[in-house]
Amino acid sequence: MSILSFVRDSLAVAENEFRQFRRNRSAILISLVILPFFFTASLGAGRGGAGTTFSATADIPMTFVDNDYSVASLRLWQTLESSPDFHSLTQSYDEQQSISLLGTKTIFAVIVVPKGFQNDLDNGAQARVILYTDDSEPGVSDQIQSTLTNYVQNFNPNVEVQPQLTEAEKQAISGVEIIQKGASFAGFNVGLTIVLAVVQIFAVFYEIAGGMSRERDEGTYARLLVTPIPIGAIILGKTLFDVLLSIVRTFIVLGLAIYGYGARPNTDLLTILALSLLVALVTMGLGFVASALKLGQRAVVIVEFFLILLLFAFSGLVIDKELLVGVSQTIATILPFSYAFDALRRTILLGRPVLSLTYDLEYLIASGVLFYATAFLFLSKFRERLIT
Amino acid sequence: MSDNSITTQGLTKIFGHFRAVDTLNLGVNAGELFGLLGPNGAGKTTTVRMLCTLTEPTLGSATVAGFDIRKEAAAVRRSIGVVSEGVSLYKDLTIEENLKLLSTLYDIPRAESRIQELLEMFAFREKTRRLVSALSTGWAKKAMICAALLHDPKVLFLDEVTSGLDPQSAIALQDFTRRLCEQGVTVIWTTHYMGEPEKICDRVGIMFAGRLVQVGTPDELKHSVSELSLVEVETPDLSPSQLEKVKHKLSSMNQVCRVKYVESKLQVSCERRETLAEEVASALLEVGARIRTINTKDPTLEEAFIALTGGEDEIDRFMERAEQSK
Repeated sequence: MSILSFVRDSLAVAENEFRQFRRNRSAILISLVILPFFFTASLGAGRGGAGTTFSATADIPMTFVDNDYSVASLRLWQTLESSPDFHSLTQSYDEQQSISLLGTKTIFAVIVVPKGFQNDLDNGAQARVILYTDDSEPGVSDQIQSTLTNYVQNFNPNVEVQPQLTEAEKQAISGVEIIQKGASFAGFNVGLTIVLAVVQIFAVFYEIAGGMSRERDEGTYARLLVTPIPIGAIILGKTLFDVLLSIVRTFIVLGLAIYGYGARPNTDLLTILALSLLVALVTMGLGFVASALKLGQRAVVIVEFFLILLLFAFSGLVIDKELLVGVSQTIATILPFSYAFDALRRTILLGRPVLSLTYDLEYLIASGVLFYATAFLFLSKFRERLIT
Repeated sequence: MSDNSITTQGLTKIFGHFRAVDTLNLGVNAGELFGLLGPNGAGKTTTVRMLCTLTEPTLGSATVAGFDIRKEAAAVRRSIGVVSEGVSLYKDLTIEENLKLLSTLYDIPRAESRIQELLEMFAFREKTRRLVSALSTGWAKKAMICAALLHDPKVLFLDEVTSGLDPQSAIALQDFTRRLCEQGVTVIWTTHYMGEPEKICDRVGIMFAGRLVQVGTPDELKHSVSELSLVEVETPDLSPSQLEKVKHKLSSMNQVCRVKYVESKLQVSCERRETLAEEVASALLEVGARIRTINTKDPTLEEAFIALTGGEDEIDRFMERAEQSK
């Protein structure tokens, strides 16, 4: 078996998948319409309604304290004050008094421009804005910090927001990095990270595991196995087609999130596409493992249900995985999808370059390779597993 | 490459504690139409799956078209065509599209003309562009045979292939298979319909409980079981004394096993029938009995099968066990 014939066989399988897909209305509906549109629209509507720009921080009372009295600090005040994300921002001249109001529910954040702000900018050094937040409201602190980060970095890339943490908070996050949610929240960025991952995982698992299960039930897999095609070419062919579907799906979700719900990803399209495909490939590997375990179509749906539960509970989708404890922390550490969410957030929300996510990427790639290798071994060794 | 297209030596498949195929020793000649006959669960399909390299044997060895099924699985797959009981083609594709996929996988040169040749041979005409899901069972089976023949296989496995076919299509398929064998293709025809192999197979292997109970031509199998040839004479008003005389006369003949008179019919079972009909007739005429009709009845393969496998009770018990083991 030469590489050329292996590739030819894989392409034949991919083409075959495409031919079947274009004739299968329910598959088109589920993969390219219901899942991407339903998930994106549901979350988008929940975050502020279609076509509107929603800001989670707009109505949160905050105080701005200018200790620099410079042109730069004045411009920053004007930028924030005129923005749609800081509607309830007031100015104060007493830093300590403002900070003392935190926790009283009168104000929820104090933004302080320290002395030397303009000087640092003029000298090309890293200027800082200090942020005090009331974290008694879950998530508010994160949202304010990420939105502010986005604004000050647009204002000048040399400015960084320095959150002032309580001792308890310092304790909780010592040694780990908490990825802030809600950067550029005037829109749908957090929603985009969730939707991209969930839609890919949900759709891809169904397509691969469900598709293989259907082939087993209809006897077409056995038909393939009595031809000279190697198992690897079947797996590669199906993967190639699903990569194509995943690209289309990524564009659908991105288009809807950006143009429908005002998402403004802090990274480029190629990075999002690459990460989205990586998530899809890991899920494809898992799908092949599930099919090697001889899951029926009904079992695939049940497993998918548990997979989504795992995602919501342990992947950092709702609670940052670093804040989970005990067994849940262990599950989150093992679960490859929690690294996928991490990677998506770091890039889409914080604009980190994809190559800086070494650990996340390594873990995802290793998981994918492990899944594919397991599936390949099972399907090669126990050929009859997928024969009715 | 051996003379036999298929050879198996001690081929065994065990699922858990269930021996689906037990020490199968078989030789099928090139160009032979070999029937594997047995009830559901006898091990026919498992045997075919092992020979097709779909299932790894637990023990034993086998060659198909001269290739070892374990060591040269890819070569075996290039040499065989398989038609299974169900319609194992992609239902959302047309027949042509299904064949195109397979022609790529078999790396068939000038695939287009080969596909057209097969489609014309089976008279598909406008149906070539129809989805497989829109075809009747008969046409779908024909499409599957096209798929199995696409790469000119040396060995063709037809597993319960007439299941669900109307009688005309089944007969047409049997004729077609016969012609294939005449062209040198070896065919393994598995079925649980006893009448089929009797009509078309060169040799038949009877499988039961995973074992190959007997192999031979249909005639050999039928006549390997005694007490099955029967002469039935309709002779009304046979008096008890006449019957006694006839019984006495016939019992003096070695080959006669049993004589019964039921509802004006005298039934005589024997091992061989060639001269028996005449002898029965002459015995009746000698005692002045009237003869209305004389019928001779060959044993059927089904009767031979039941006799060889220990009777219907044994088959029922086996099928229960096979069902439980699934």
